[in-house]
Amino acid sequence: MLQFFKNTHYDVVNKRRITFGISLALIVLSLVSLFVRGLNYGIDFSGGAKMQVEFSQSITAEELRAKFTEKNLGNPEIKSSGLNEYMITINPENLDDANGILEQALGGTDYTLLQIDKIGPKIGQELRSNSLKAVGIALLLVLIYITVRFEFHFAVGAVAALAQDVLITLGLFSIFQWEISMPVLAAFLTIVGYSLNDTIVIFDRIREDLKVHKGKPLADIINFSINESLSRTVITSLTTFFVVIILALFGGQVLFGFSIAMVIGVIIGTYSSMFIAAPILVVWGHKFKEKEKPLEKKK
Amino acid sequence: MSKKLIWRYLVIVALLGWAVYTIMPTLRYERLSTEEKSVLKEEGKLLDLESKIIKRGLDLQGGMHLVLEINVPDFIKKVADHQSAAYYDYMEKVDALYRENPEKDYLNIMLETAENDSLRLSRYFPAPDRRTDNKAVVDNLQKECEQAVVRAEEIIRNRIDQFGVAEPVIQLIGNKRIIVELAGIDDPDRAKDIIHNTALLEFVLLKDPEYTQDIINRIDAAVKRINPEEITAVDSAVISGKKSEDKEISVSELLGLQESDSTAESLVLVDEDLASEHPFSALLRNLGWDIGVPKENYYAVNRILNDPEVVRILPNDLRILFSAKTQKIETVQGGNAEFYSLYFINREPGLTGDAVKEAKAELGSVSSERMGQPVVNVRMDGEGTKTWARLTGANVDKRLAIVLDNKVQMAPRIESKIPNGRTVIEGFAGLAEAQDIEIVLKAGALPAPIDIIEERTVGASLGADSVRRGVNSVLFGLALVALFIIVYYRGAGTIAIATLVLNIFFVLSILASLRATLTLPGIAGLVLTMGMAVDANVLIFERIREEYLRGKTIRSSVENGYSRALITILDANLTTLITALVLWQYGSGPIRGFAVVLFWGIIFNFVSGYFISRTIFMSFTHGKKPLNKLSI
Repeated sequence: MLQFFKNTHYDVVNKRRITFGISLALIVLSLVSLFVRGLNYGIDFSGGAKMQVEFSQSITAEELRAKFTEKNLGNPEIKSSGLNEYMITINPENLDDANGILEQALGGTDYTLLQIDKIGPKIGQELRSNSLKAVGIALLLVLIYITVRFEFHFAVGAVAALAQDVLITLGLFSIFQWEISMPVLAAFLTIVGYSLNDTIVIFDRIREDLKVHKGKPLADIINFSINESLSRTVITSLTTFFVVIILALFGGQVLFGFSIAMVIGVIIGTYSSMFIAAPILVVWGHKFKEKEKPLEKKK
Repeated sequence: MSKKLIWRYLVIVALLGWAVYTIMPTLRYERLSTEEKSVLKEEGKLLDLESKIIKRGLDLQGGMHLVLEINVPDFIKKVADHQSAAYYDYMEKVDALYRENPEKDYLNIMLETAENDSLRLSRYFPAPDRRTDNKAVVDNLQKECEQAVVRAEEIIRNRIDQFGVAEPVIQLIGNKRIIVELAGIDDPDRAKDIIHNTALLEFVLLKDPEYTQDIINRIDAAVKRINPEEITAVDSAVISGKKSEDKEISVSELLGLQESDSTAESLVLVDEDLASEHPFSALLRNLGWDIGVPKENYYAVNRILNDPEVVRILPNDLRILFSAKTQKIETVQGGNAEFYSLYFINREPGLTGDAVKEAKAELGSVSSERMGQPVVNVRMDGEGTKTWARLTGANVDKRLAIVLDNKVQMAPRIESKIPNGRTVIEGFAGLAEAQDIEIVLKAGALPAPIDIIEERTVGASLGADSVRRGVNSVLFGLALVALFIIVYYRGAGTIAIATLVLNIFFVLSILASLRATLTLPGIAGLVLTMGMAVDANVLIFERIREEYLRGKTIRSSVENGYSRALITILDANLTTLITALVLWQYGSGPIRGFAVVLFWGIIFNFVSGYFISRTIFMSFTHGKKPLNKLSI
């Protein structure tokens, strides 16, 4: 029997000052970046035209940019998306003329238009508010579910873990200025689902162990549960990680944002369920434990 | 064999039978060559087959996705029936508010503004009588808007049918949007023009030259008011044909605009002698018959004509339009200059495209003066023929503009009464354009201007590339996961991978039977489903191992492992299911594709990852020869 983790006894709960500290530092860093640099909204949310163009001859991004500036056609965002392939983004003010602008700038070169996405600023705003609504509703429903299935203080741990997952992932997107597009938003929601999934597996174990080992200190039970499910946590995270990293490497430009968000999400989601969500139960559950004591005495 | 097992086997066989049956057409279709497809098409079986396969999204097969929205402000202005100065002030105010808050409903802004300024909207818009309250007027406008969208959808459908695209998707969304999806088209720009050009054909009389001159003088005066520093003695204006030194100045300079506008500056050619006194006429040239606008001045002239101050002084029954095409004229210096023509025409058309019964694009016949030029021959219906005869008969020797979508195609002089309801339209860039006009004239004009608010076009080559990449990443991911799980869990791992493959198979089957569309985000959803499926197996196997290591028998380890893991799997999958459902409900196009696949992936995760894998385990543990070793 191949086993990665045999009878581990990691004291995760007592190292919570360290893990909470790391999380706090990452959250602060993310918040600073979110305030200072902000997020790079793609055209899905800000409006504009994005055109993927393939050239038959090699051309650099600088040469391409010069073609636009020479003819006073503005300064579009130009990003390489493959061999002699570029993503050219034109701001929403020039949306209607996007094709014309491209034709004027690239006249004379041999190019193929692979893909155009044009989003009016109004619909971009709508997509943004609809998406926020979707995220809000999803979170609320999931929290209600946990509160019903577990207890309220479990929901608090899950929320804390979730909040840090979302914040740190957003922070990384802000620091590296990766574009927030529709698929990336879908990835964020999946991360929320994944992180919760992980958290719930550990919570399930804690709930079970609370019944089995009545009377033992809460911290010990939580430690015990984390160690018991450690094997599962690592194996699941590893396989999911394989899958999303392959998507990031081979899925192509279109899915890159999605996959990179998922890669980050898997790492942070796994970390948060073990090191944030479960230890928080000790901090929060302290009072709850003491309240229960008189009940036990009565027996 | 125990009874427990028999019913489990029956369920699995039924499921597999269903899945194979629904996925077969897709497998068959994917293997068909182009020739075989055309044979099937002749036999009339292709459509039937195509309705049973997994449809590929536009991102995978190439095509165009458009979201069209009725332009409410333009539509409202079109239906307004009494246009006074107060009406213009009011509409200007509403438009300004709408520009500031584009997310607000235009009709709501209209209502609020009218209420605040205590205006009676029934004075300007259609209403049963003058005393109808504003709310009722706006409600009525709302209804007309909605009807216009429904009509627009029909007309667009007609146009696309004539254009000839296989299986177009044309859908009404809400009460002012239309979604159009066209797969595998070669020329997206042309298709776009056919879909969203209003195609309003009008036959309108020109104003007489004296009247036109008077208007030009008034515009000159208005432009000078806007930029008072330039005021000098007012002279009687003449449209200048003389070649004085042309000087380049900017539009902002001309209108005396603020610095902030300087980004929009473009250089224009003005007749310097005239510029200070007649800033508008200085931009124009006399082309004999027509008033010419040098191509460089197009932007400047257009801007002046749309300036609110200028619009205010223009009579309500006047429209000023440009020609559709430029014409090249040799200048004195010997070079070629390109000119648009500017036409001053009646607001009310004498006749519109509604009267068109037939339209045919062709090259002008050899004997005519339009030899070899693309033209559209138009024949009118009975009522139209009568009106056309009356209109031409009463206005012999006057000029008549043929206007398409607010651009003047041509403005010939009426030589004699035309009794047979025929006319020829010229002024097209090429035969293709004339053919497109034929299509839109036949299908009819859109009842209101339509804007394209979202467009996603994917080239066919990129689509094929995405399919390859998507399939590759699924296969790679599967291979890697399989390797890892089989090395780690041995025999049990092999069962897990078998059920994982079954899971993907089931999801594809349900997509085929629901006629859902597989998109690129959908493939991503499939990949994520794989991750979730593996998790279920890992949870179960870890439990079985725990039980087994505690010294339980193989049979009870397996039993306990499955039953104890169930609650965890349920909790974990249900939360993801909730997320998928919310995304399905509230997400837009690409996200929905992801959510649909994720949703079914989780459902089948219970079926294959739990039910089927447990059955396989049970056939080993409940068999006649009990296992003496657990390969996990």
